[in-house]
Amino acid sequence: MDVLLMDYLPLVVFIGVALVLGLALLVAPFIVAYKQPDPEKLSAYECGFNPFDDARMKFDVRFYLVAILFIIFDLEVSFLFPWAIVFGEIGAYGFWSMMVFLAVLTIGFIYEWKKGALEWD
Amino acid sequence: MYQTIVFLPLLGAIIAGAIALYGARLRFAGDVAAAGHDHAHAAPHDADHTHDAHDAPQEPAALGSRAAEVITTSFLFIAMVLSWLAFARVGFGHYDERVALFGWIVSGDLKIDWALRIDTLTAVMLVVVTTVSALVHLYSVGYMAEEPYRPRFFSYLSFFTFAMLALVTADNLAQLFFGWEGVGLASYLLIGFWYYKPEANAAAIKAFVVNRIGDFGFALGIFAVFMMTGSIDLDTVFAQAPALTGKTIDFFGWHADALTLICLLLFMGAMGKSAQFLLHTWLPDAMEGPTPVSALIHAATMVTAGVFMVARLSPLFELAPNAAAFVTLVGATTAFFAATVGLVQNDIKRIVAYSTCSQLGYMFVAMGVGAYSVGMFHLFTHAFFKALLFLGSGSVIMAMHHEQDIRKMGGLRAKIPFTYWTMVIGTLALTGFPLTAGYFSKDAIIEAAYSGKNAFAFYAFLMTVAAACLTSFYSWRLIFKTFHGEPHDKEHHEAAHESPPVILIPLGALATGSILAGLPFKEYFAGHHIEEFFRESLKQSGEIVEAMHHVPIVVVWLPTLMMSTGFLIAWHFYIRRPDIPVELARQHDVLYRFLLNKWYFDEIYDVLIVRPLLWLGRLLWKGGDGIVIDGLGPDGVSARVLDVTRNVMRLQTGYLYHYAFAMLIGAALLITWFMFAGGPH
Amino acid sequence: MKELLAFLPILPEIALAVGAMGLLMFGAYGGERVVTTIQGLSVVLLIFAAVLAAMLPDSRFGTSFVVDEFARFLKVLAFLGSAVAIVMSLDYLAVEKQQKFEYPILILLSTVGMGMLISANDLIALYLGLELMSLALYVVAASNRDSIRSTEAGLKYFVLGALSSGMLLYGCSLIYGFTGTVSFEGIAEGSKHPGIGLIFGLVFLFAGLCFKVSAVPFHMWTPDVYEGAPTPVTAFFAAAPKIAGIAIFVRVAVGAFHEIVPQWQQIIVFVAIASMVLGAFAAIGQRNIKRLMAYSSIGHMGFALVGLASGTAVGVQGVLIYIAIYLAMTLGTFAVILAMRRNGEMVEEIGDLAGLSRSNPPLAFLLAILLFSLAGIPPLAGFFAKFYVFLAAIEAGLYTLAVIGVLASVVGAYYYLLIVKIMYFDEPVQAFQPMPGELKAVLGVTGLFNLLFFVYPAPLIEAASAAAKSLF
Repeated sequence: MDVLLMDYLPLVVFIGVALVLGLALLVAPFIVAYKQPDPEKLSAYECGFNPFDDARMKFDVRFYLVAILFIIFDLEVSFLFPWAIVFGEIGAYGFWSMMVFLAVLTIGFIYEWKKGALEWD
Repeated sequence: MYQTIVFLPLLGAIIAGAIALYGARLRFAGDVAAAGHDHAHAAPHDADHTHDAHDAPQEPAALGSRAAEVITTSFLFIAMVLSWLAFARVGFGHYDERVALFGWIVSGDLKIDWALRIDTLTAVMLVVVTTVSALVHLYSVGYMAEEPYRPRFFSYLSFFTFAMLALVTADNLAQLFFGWEGVGLASYLLIGFWYYKPEANAAAIKAFVVNRIGDFGFALGIFAVFMMTGSIDLDTVFAQAPALTGKTIDFFGWHADALTLICLLLFMGAMGKSAQFLLHTWLPDAMEGPTPVSALIHAATMVTAGVFMVARLSPLFELAPNAAAFVTLVGATTAFFAATVGLVQNDIKRIVAYSTCSQLGYMFVAMGVGAYSVGMFHLFTHAFFKALLFLGSGSVIMAMHHEQDIRKMGGLRAKIPFTYWTMVIGTLALTGFPLTAGYFSKDAIIEAAYSGKNAFAFYAFLMTVAAACLTSFYSWRLIFKTFHGEPHDKEHHEAAHESPPVILIPLGALATGSILAGLPFKEYFAGHHIEEFFRESLKQSGEIVEAMHHVPIVVVWLPTLMMSTGFLIAWHFYIRRPDIPVELARQHDVLYRFLLNKWYFDEIYDVLIVRPLLWLGRLLWKGGDGIVIDGLGPDGVSARVLDVTRNVMRLQTGYLYHYAFAMLIGAALLITWFMFAGGPH
Repeated sequence: MKELLAFLPILPEIALAVGAMGLLMFGAYGGERVVTTIQGLSVVLLIFAAVLAAMLPDSRFGTSFVVDEFARFLKVLAFLGSAVAIVMSLDYLAVEKQQKFEYPILILLSTVGMGMLISANDLIALYLGLELMSLALYVVAASNRDSIRSTEAGLKYFVLGALSSGMLLYGCSLIYGFTGTVSFEGIAEGSKHPGIGLIFGLVFLFAGLCFKVSAVPFHMWTPDVYEGAPTPVTAFFAAAPKIAGIAIFVRVAVGAFHEIVPQWQQIIVFVAIASMVLGAFAAIGQRNIKRLMAYSSIGHMGFALVGLASGTAVGVQGVLIYIAIYLAMTLGTFAVILAMRRNGEMVEEIGDLAGLSRSNPPLAFLLAILLFSLAGIPPLAGFFAKFYVFLAAIEAGLYTLAVIGVLASVVGAYYYLLIVKIMYFDEPVQAFQPMPGELKAVLGVTGLFNLLFFVYPAPLIEAASAAAKSLF
């Protein structure tokens, strides 16, 4: 076996495991799930969506807006965690870099706030 | 001095041209629409009545007309005085000169300087050109007085003079050709001066096209000279000419004698320019131009350029006896042919035009038999009396209110006596009445033809003698029908009046010349002083002159006899028994029509050349250019382009997935290419 | 202080970014009232950035951002192009009641991306600049939200742009994988012995870049987006982003892959020929002048790439001259298109120009000059643009390419001359409304530049020559 391809063996194993796991989780409910619907379970959610319905349907664009804004700040946090861990080692340069990053985000946040993107109505 | 003579007319032409352009700008800035309207009305004309049309646009004279006239005319008179001085200096002072002005063309082996070659031959031409031109300028001041576009006219006239002077002072064939084409251009412009007349335009185009045929040969001749001698400088060519004897030019397996071929080609140019038999058709039509133009260009100067050229190249023609014989043949034929046509024409200017054609034939006869100086003599005297006849005709036409048909004239003798007497003098000189200018030169030509050695010399002798009789007849016919007898058009006759002095002075001057240009110069042109007068400028064997002096007495008197005969017949026909010519014309209808229609030359050319060429042209236009070139070229290509465009546009469907697909296909194509063909090397 | 000095090379981009954010805040608080102020300040900011960019000395920010003569030349062009695009939008947005303060700010942000792209010296900076530029472009393409065509244009642009970004990223990762570095110097070092993998990476990278300059076969978005987007946006699209795209194309090709010129030359030759030919042929069938300009710009990018195909300093000089003259020609033409307003409505058909020579002779004359220049007719500037790229191609021995290019420009001349014919020989239709002053200024300057370029071409040619040499 080629040395180069051998290097990729862990990757193949990883993909295999992910595939098996994903399929297992998808298929398992159909086999083992305990189904007992009651009116409370079948009634619409607070946001107005039916719990059991075709997923390909029209719904309000504002959901997207909220989702996108959520992702932005969610990712921000994912940057903040590693930064916080190595904060002691990166010094003032590191500190100010993150401050600039946060300032840019803040400006975006102010903009969306002023434009009313956070208001539902 | 020589530079002044040559370039002063050019300066005048430029100044007058500037005035004309300035005036035109003023005029058309004002009212373009009105001018166009006028022209449209002037256009329709009765084709039978080829007037000197003065029913031109009724417009005020262009600004600065007087200034243009004064400038060009005075310049010409200065040039004339200088020319006579030059004539005395060169002809009698024996002071030849070559004035180099500037280098002109340098291309490979070809080096051409612009130089003025001043020898006796040139001096004679200078005198002829500037004198007639100056007088015609002066005459035009009166003749064109009603014409609104005078600055343009005088500009053209002076430009013509410059081109003609450039021609006669040429030191090499290129310069000669420049002048040759320059006079052709001026001739074209002046024939078509009344551009709103369709006949004038047609005549101008005809003159230009027919001359192209001759010029084609002329240009080929120059090329041939360059090919054989490596130079077109006259001195060099003449020096090398004897060495060319016996050499041949090989052309598609045809071995032509070099000198003969060169001379024939060059003579082809002369045939066109001098309206010789077969290429003569443009000259009568050229009478559509204003009369002073006919006098200057189509009688006295430009048409003699061919004669001059043969004289100038006499060292070549002397070495090519076959070509010289051909010159004789053509000249003799023209002399006779044109005279016969002249017999029956009714347009006063056309009669004189055919007469010109005929006299040019005489000159070529002299050239052909080797009597170059005699030909030049006739050129010299002819310039005076033929210009006189044209200008006199112009005066008659003015008096008759632009009527040119001699059948409608008559009895004008008392009304315009000065014109009458000058015309009579001109006619006497033309017909060779003893002691007038024409008598010496024309008789000398006939004697030379008799003494000539080449194959066609005797034929030429017969033809010229016959033509002398015809000349006399038609000339007197013109005089009798115009000035004698009963007036045929009472109205015009009543109104006829003598022209102003500005017209009569040139007539007087030319009449004087017509009488005096003969005797004093006889010995220099055709007598014992030829050698010392012309020296190197002509290469003429002494034999022919010697032979001329020993012709039988009959030959000497024959032309005069013929002249008298012609006169008597004319007198009989038009004074004593005016009914005879009418009867004669009816009896010999076929002959009469044959002559009246100029031997049907125009019709023959139309059938033989014009129509086939038009057919060929149409074939190439519709079939060759339209279907083949356009079809496969522009039209075909553009149609294919549109096809491609349609297909390309179909690709732009507007569907996102098609676009993405195209991108992926593109990337895949490139990848595939690199995998199989262009990968790493 | 020393740390701060390190930021000097990116000062123009910082200024633009900070300015854009400041203006965003200003707009967020000021609302619709301050739109005009923001527009004016944006133009000032862009001109300021152009001046800054022109004055910067040769320097680097880390290894990923480089300032050299090449970058200075193109940044000045790109920043000025953006500024002019904003100026040209003023009247349109006011009349169409689409004045939004975000529009100039998005252009500013896009321009930051262009600056980044022009100076990028590694694959990361390249990608960042490209995305920053493109994201703003996607948004402005759809800026007229109420128009189906505008949103369609934005969406198409976005989806295809994402696809192209994917290709580009895939190419970047392949290149990184086979050379072990992202910096252009490192790639140049690592590509001395190229394998097929590296070439694959090159193809995908170039595919992404071709998309940005709308070169065939990655051009499909161009006509639809040009036609659908609001006209000032189209004018912007046709000008500044093209400059940045060509800039990074040249820098990647010459800076990172100069060891494998024969390989990428094949791609560029193919793309250039396809672009020139398709641009010329497809434009003939167009009736909408914006669509026509789309194909025109596709063709012109093909011509510019002819210079790059030679892979020499002369070729790059030709590209730079071409792109500078193209900028002037295209902005001037769009100034006329923006002035095609009749009875308060924009008209976009070529036939609407009929008889312009009689209803507005100066406009017709200047447009004719620009069209002749676009067709490459001497002695106008467009001729010299083509002349230099073809010259470079011939010097590099790419005769076929040069011949096809000349033939394509002959075909292309047809549709430019067709417009001239319509303007000068067709029966006049109703005259256009009077042209706003700023459009007149843009048209006048660009028209005269094209007309008089041949009188004193030395400054541009020398600047382009110096810029080209800085890459070699």
